[in-house]
Amino acid sequence: MASHIKEFLGAEKPGDYYSALVEQLKKANGEYHAFNQIDGSVADANNAVPFSSKANICVKGFETTAGSKMLQGYVPPFNATVIERMLGDDRFTFIGETGMDEFGFGTFGTNTEVPAKNAFDSGYAAGGSSSGAAVATALLKYHVALSESTGGSISTPAALNGVVGFTPTYGSVSRYGLIDYASSLDKIGVMARSGEDIRIVFDAVRGRDDYDTTCAVQDIRDEKKKKLFVIEELNQYSDKRIHSHFERLLDTLGEKYEIATKSIGVLGSAVESYYIIAMAEASTNLAKYNGYKYGLQHIEPNARYNEFFTEARANFGVEAKRRIILGTFIRSESVKSRYYTKALSVRSMIIKEMGKVLKEGFIISPTLPVTTPRVSDVKKLTPVQEYAMDIFTVPPSLGGFPHITFPYQYTDGMPIGAQLVGGQANDYAVIDFATEWESEFDYKYKHNIGSL
Amino acid sequence: MKIGLEVHVALPTKSKLFCSCSMDDAEPNTNICPICTGFPGSKPMLNSAAAESGFSIANALHCKINRNMSFVRKVYFYPDLPKCYQITQMGGAVGSEGYLDIQGKRIGIRRVQIEEDPAQIVRDGMLTLLDFNRSGTPLVEIVTEPDITDEGELRSFIANLRSILYYLGVDINREIKADLNISISDVRVEVKNVTGIKSLIEAARYEIARQHRVLEEGKAIAKETRGYNEKRRITESLREKETDEEYGYVYEPDLTVFDISGMKPAEPVYANEIAEQLAEDSDVNAKTIREMTMLDRHALELIVRFRPKYKMRSIIHAIQRFKKYGKAEVPPPQVIEKLIRLVEDGKEVTKETVASFEEGKDVSIEYAKLGAVQLDKLIKRFLDENPRMVAEYKKRSKTINLIIGRIAKENGLHPKEVAGRVTRLLAGY
Repeated sequence: MASHIKEFLGAEKPGDYYSALVEQLKKANGEYHAFNQIDGSVADANNAVPFSSKANICVKGFETTAGSKMLQGYVPPFNATVIERMLGDDRFTFIGETGMDEFGFGTFGTNTEVPAKNAFDSGYAAGGSSSGAAVATALLKYHVALSESTGGSISTPAALNGVVGFTPTYGSVSRYGLIDYASSLDKIGVMARSGEDIRIVFDAVRGRDDYDTTCAVQDIRDEKKKKLFVIEELNQYSDKRIHSHFERLLDTLGEKYEIATKSIGVLGSAVESYYIIAMAEASTNLAKYNGYKYGLQHIEPNARYNEFFTEARANFGVEAKRRIILGTFIRSESVKSRYYTKALSVRSMIIKEMGKVLKEGFIISPTLPVTTPRVSDVKKLTPVQEYAMDIFTVPPSLGGFPHITFPYQYTDGMPIGAQLVGGQANDYAVIDFATEWESEFDYKYKHNIGSL
Repeated sequence: MKIGLEVHVALPTKSKLFCSCSMDDAEPNTNICPICTGFPGSKPMLNSAAAESGFSIANALHCKINRNMSFVRKVYFYPDLPKCYQITQMGGAVGSEGYLDIQGKRIGIRRVQIEEDPAQIVRDGMLTLLDFNRSGTPLVEIVTEPDITDEGELRSFIANLRSILYYLGVDINREIKADLNISISDVRVEVKNVTGIKSLIEAARYEIARQHRVLEEGKAIAKETRGYNEKRRITESLREKETDEEYGYVYEPDLTVFDISGMKPAEPVYANEIAEQLAEDSDVNAKTIREMTMLDRHALELIVRFRPKYKMRSIIHAIQRFKKYGKAEVPPPQVIEKLIRLVEDGKEVTKETVASFEEGKDVSIEYAKLGAVQLDKLIKRFLDENPRMVAEYKKRSKTINLIIGRIAKENGLHPKEVAGRVTRLLAGY
């Protein structure tokens, strides 16, 4: 599939294209809630592709809430570096902020006040935490989404909405202006309708930034691989339907690639380690929302210390509270070595072991171990069951390895996605894998708002 | 008795530790930005000048240097802490396991860590105000082992530390903030947030005496945290301390590990050690030289360079006075040699001496050689040649200044050197 960006920029458009686009989008958004806010000024755009940003990426003068009641009314006085770079690029124009699970805490997009709905069927989960970004990409024909993943927040919603979702190597894209979940795991990435578009946006936003010292990966490689590895420890978690779909995908890919099974024992502890590190960091990142300087401030200032905090911190949603409490526990001196320190060493092992495998080839897996669940079924999941859905997205997240999700199958009208992981900084090869896949597989969409 | 210290000093950088905000004095809340006020989405970026300064201090305190230093988050809720965690260092601290030799004893340095200062809390009547200008100020915390055993050693340690820091460009006299851990039995009492060297010594003295008193009364010393009341000059109990504070440290994931092996630490100067060496071939003892040089870079430079054997203190003062009056940063060696001779001859160095030096007429030195007889001859000749001036003087004694000035000027002499003899000789006319 060719680049939508190039196609759009080269095409003739009616004079009222953008105003009509905003109108149609607003209408659709009333049903799907992809956007928290649509920027009306896009109506004045002149031949530029609309881009959206996830609600945890600061846009100057634009309320940026990270999906949380805590940040209602937070209007950043600065742009995130990625926003600055997109705004400075005349190929793109800002269209609005997309919805998400509160602070990125969720696999299905349901942990927020107005959850986005799946673009293929609004009774199904949109996936999270970048739910709005994925739904917006599935609604709009010509559009790219800046989104963010900590442990699968790009892959999961992209897969459930049938779009391409790319999470780059940790440290290749600046996080300055990203409202933190777990800083050592947070990565700003891109969703689009083709690999080529992702590559264009990735190149537009990536690279050194003095404001983010962890943004240190500049040389991106393009090492194509001949081998695809299926990881034993992970694959067993797929349910039967996913398993059989995935087997068929491997058959197709087997015509071009050598497919092999590998065992990486330490990945058996990936989900636990991920949640320990993520919660520990999150509980520190969210400490500032206490009603003093940040966080909702409608509290009687003369309240006693404990009452003040209790009231201020009550504005977090249930999942945020859970992660703050668990994260604070995990960090405490008496249990730190049993959880936090151990998780860090598991992470180092994962980086090493997966890194070795990724030198030889790519790792391929389903994106989720189940087919798209209904919203009503998501509500029945316990937190641990929901965390277990991240089995495939967590390993590359812990390792900081680039990964891409692409649709490979449509069953009962719903898309199914697979995920490809590459070695550190081999982002181009990972993106190009999707581009190559698209040359033989047509993506399907239910909506094509803004088509020409 | 065991005393351990945690000393906080502000580093002399132009900008803050994690942003480019200025460190200059300014109206409250004007030197601030999204980073030092902890805006959601902002990230810290390390000021390499602060890292270098911390590295220099750790190096001067003979620490093992952590070439790959890293930071942690110390999490606690307090209004002056906008992120609700302080970025500081623990295991990845720039320096650890160092020492500082004070006269005759080695005091262990557990750790030298770089960290950020919180905002300043200003109480204004019923109001509590916050000034974020201070938020993000780069600090170094120096943590000692509990090796100090009495007040004398404490004084000596602080004096030596102050000197080492002074030579690294850090003045700690007023800015020093320290926590003291004092135990005369096996119970450790912490005295927190003592500001200034004077208070630090006083607080220690009071706390040592207090603990002795408690024991003498047959009571047990409580494990607690105390504060120092500067007005009443006593320590006061803040809280009982059953367990250690829980800060829930995690690695600071917004900062990378910093490889500082490319940096060069500033050369440390141990004035106390140099003083010992200098005293060996001088008539001045080490204590005197220490007093003169521990907080005076120029004095040390001059002593090391010229090694005057006699009247060292006067000579150094003379040279310094010369520097104060003169324009030259460092006087040229021939000038210093003359200054030394001047002082050895029992003369004072004044503004005028310096002025004559600058005009290139170092007649003051000639005068020293001239001797009283020659001077008198010179003055008499002038008075003989200028009877009108003498007559004028007889009417109005104030005009003596004109005579002194003319003689001094015509002969390139110092007016002060001339004045006494002129008055004496005029009486004979």
